[in-house]
Amino acid sequence: MSRQRLLVVEDDAEMRSVIALALRAYGYDVSQVGTGADALIEVHTRTPDAVILDIGLPDIDGFAVTARIRQGYELPILVLSASSEELQQIRAFDSGANDYVVKPFREGELMARVRAALRRPVPLVERRDLNVGDLRLESTQRRVYLHGAELKLTNTEYDLLHVLARNADRVVTHGQLLLAVWGPERLNAVQYLRVFVRALRDKLEEDPTQPRRITTVLGVGYRLVSTS
Amino acid sequence: MIQSRRVRAYGFAPACVAVSFLCAKIAHPYGDLAELAMIHLVGIVLLALRSSVRTSVAASILSIALFDFFFIPPEYAFAWTDAKSGLTFLAMIFIAITVSSLSENLRRQEQDARAVAFRAQALYELNVELSASRDVRQLAAITARHLEKLFGASVDILLETAEGGLETASGPRSSAVARNAWLRREFVVESAQSGAAIWVPVLGVRSTLGVIGVELGEAFARNSERGYMLMACASQFGAAIEGAQIAGAMQRAQLEAETERMRSSLLSAVSHDLKTPLATMIAAGSTLSSKLSELPEADARALVASVVNEGQRLDRLIQNLLSVTRLDSPTVELRRTPESIEDIVRAATDRLNSPGASFRATAQFRQLPLPLVWAEPLLLEQVLVNLIENAFQHARSNVVVKIVHSAGAGALTVQVADSGPGIAEHEREKVFEKFYRGQHAGRMDGGVGLGLTICRAIVRAHGGRIAMRERAEGGLLVEFSVPLAKEPAVLLEVAS
Repeated sequence: MSRQRLLVVEDDAEMRSVIALALRAYGYDVSQVGTGADALIEVHTRTPDAVILDIGLPDIDGFAVTARIRQGYELPILVLSASSEELQQIRAFDSGANDYVVKPFREGELMARVRAALRRPVPLVERRDLNVGDLRLESTQRRVYLHGAELKLTNTEYDLLHVLARNADRVVTHGQLLLAVWGPERLNAVQYLRVFVRALRDKLEEDPTQPRRITTVLGVGYRLVSTS
Repeated sequence: MIQSRRVRAYGFAPACVAVSFLCAKIAHPYGDLAELAMIHLVGIVLLALRSSVRTSVAASILSIALFDFFFIPPEYAFAWTDAKSGLTFLAMIFIAITVSSLSENLRRQEQDARAVAFRAQALYELNVELSASRDVRQLAAITARHLEKLFGASVDILLETAEGGLETASGPRSSAVARNAWLRREFVVESAQSGAAIWVPVLGVRSTLGVIGVELGEAFARNSERGYMLMACASQFGAAIEGAQIAGAMQRAQLEAETERMRSSLLSAVSHDLKTPLATMIAAGSTLSSKLSELPEADARALVASVVNEGQRLDRLIQNLLSVTRLDSPTVELRRTPESIEDIVRAATDRLNSPGASFRATAQFRQLPLPLVWAEPLLLEQVLVNLIENAFQHARSNVVVKIVHSAGAGALTVQVADSGPGIAEHEREKVFEKFYRGQHAGRMDGGVGLGLTICRAIVRAHGGRIAMRERAEGGLLVEFSVPLAKEPAVLLEVAS
C-alpha cells in the first residue's frame, strides 16, 4: 500500500513545518499550504487522504473551507484551533469536520487523531458487525460482546453504543448522539446522555470511575476508544 | 392666633388702669392723695413692663384723668388746684415712658436672640442632612425640602450644567429671571402674574452653581430675617455642592490611580509569569540545538521534557488570562448544561498527570452514581486545574480530589486536599484576592497571582462557595460547591 497523503493547512510557517515534520516521521506523505484558497486548489487537484486544517486562516476561515470541501469530498478533515471553546468545536463538527484538536497539542495526541480520522467511518445504512478493540457489536442481532462474553444492554444503551462504535476513535458530539438516539425533539436533553453514558460505563469499563473505553470531551461529546 | 394676642395686649392696658383705679377707690377713705397716686403708679409700671411706649403713655393719661376726676378735689371734675398734683402727673407719664421703653428694648433683644437660635438650628439641621449626601441632585432635593418647610412656600432649584446652562433640579418652575440672577450673581425679585418670587444665586468659589427661587408670600415680604435665612441656606447649599464635586473628583482620581495600579501590577504579574516558562523553554531548546551531539541521552530527554512541560504551563496561564477577561466583563453569561462531575474531575487530573510530572493528583469517588451538576464544564475544569497546580507548586505534594454529596443538599462539594505546609489562617482569605501571592510563593514561584481569584470568580458565577481550611492530618483542603442540575425524570429501562 502506498503511503497515505496528508494536506496540512496552517498559516503559521513555523507551526506548519513542525506538524509536517512530525507527520513525516510517522510515515505519511505531507504537502503544506498556508491559505484556504490554496487548500481548496490542492484538494481539487491532488485529492489527499485527509486534511489537517487550521481554523484561523488569513483568507477564508477554516469553517468555510471545511464546508466547501464537504460539498464535493468525503475525505476526513481534522481541525486545529487555538480555542478550546465548546461552541467553536461544535461549529467545526457541524460544518463537517471529523475531529477537532485544540492547540497546543502533544504530537502523540495529534497522531492518534490522524489515525482515527483515516479509518473510514462505517456508513449508517450498512448493517454489519463492528469490532472496536475487544468490543464486538453484532448489528443484526443487536448483541454486544466484550472479550467474547455477551453484555446485557437496554435498547437505548445499545443504540448509544452503536453510534459511538460506528465512529470509533472519533468525537461524537452531544447533538449528534441525541439526534441519533432520541430524535430531534430531545436535542437539548444532555442529562439523558449523561445518565446512559454512565450506565454504559458501568457495564463496559473495568473501573467505571476511571473509564478508558468511553472518554469524555468536556462540553463537546464522547469518544469510543479502540485501543485501551 | 396673632389676632387674639393683639386683643389680649389691648385689653391688658384698660384692665391695669381699671384695677389700679378700683384699688385706689377702696383705699380712698384710709389714705391721702399721695398714697392714692402711688397705687395708680403701680398700675402704670406694671402695664409699662409689658406694653409698648404708645400704649403705656395712653394708659397713663387715662389713669391720670381718672385720678384727677375721682380723687383730686374738687372731686368729679377735671381740675386741680395745686402745682404738686401737676408735678405728680408729669412724673407718672415720665415713669410710664421710661419703664415701657426699657422693657420694649429688652423684649426686642430677646426676640433677636430667639431668631438667631432658630436660624442656627435650621441651618444646623440643613447642614447635617447635606453632609450625608454626595449627589448633587439629592443635595438640591434636601435643600428644597428644608426651605419649603422653613418658609411655607414653594421652592425651585436650578443648577448649572456641565455645558454652562441651567437645568431644573427641583421644582417645576424655571424662568428668565432665574437666569438673570444666575448671570448677575445677585438676588432678583420676580413679579409675575403667576406670583412673585425671589431668586437667590448659589455662589461657589469659581462659578455660580445654581439659583434658588422662593415664592414670595406676604409673610416673606415683611420679614428681612427670612431673606437673610434664605441667603444663608443658599450659601450652605453651594458649599455642599462644591464639597460633593471635590469628593467626586477625588474619588475618580483615586479610582483611576487604582485602575492604573491594577493594570501595571497585572502587566508585571503577567509578564513575569509568562516569561518564566518561556525562559526555560528557550534555554532548554538552545542547549539542545547547539549541544545535541555532546549531551548524554538522558539529559537531552530531560531538556526536551522541560520544553514540553513549560509549554503546557504557559498554555494554562494563558487560559487563566482569557478567563479573567471573560469573567470580568459585566455581561458574562455561563453556558451551563447538566454535567457529570466525575468527567470534569478526570479531565483536570488527566491534564496535570503528565508522565514526567513530580506529583500526582488522584480522584476518589466513593458514592457513585453522583448526581449531575449544573455547570459550564471547561470553567469547572479550570478551577480544578488551578487548585491542583497550586498544590503541586506551593505545597509540593500529591493531591487527592474527593467529591462529597449529602442527600437532600442542592449542591455537591468538591474537595482538593494536599499534604503540604498549608496556609496561615490570616492569609486564607487574601490568597483569593487578585495578584496576591502567599508569603512564601515568591521563592518557589510559578504561581499566578490570578489562579485562586479565577477559581473564586468561576465558583461564584456558578452560585457556589469556595473556602480553604487546615486538614487534621496536615496540609490544606480547598473545597468548593457546585449546584446540582435537575435530574431527568424516569429514564429506567429493562435490559433486553
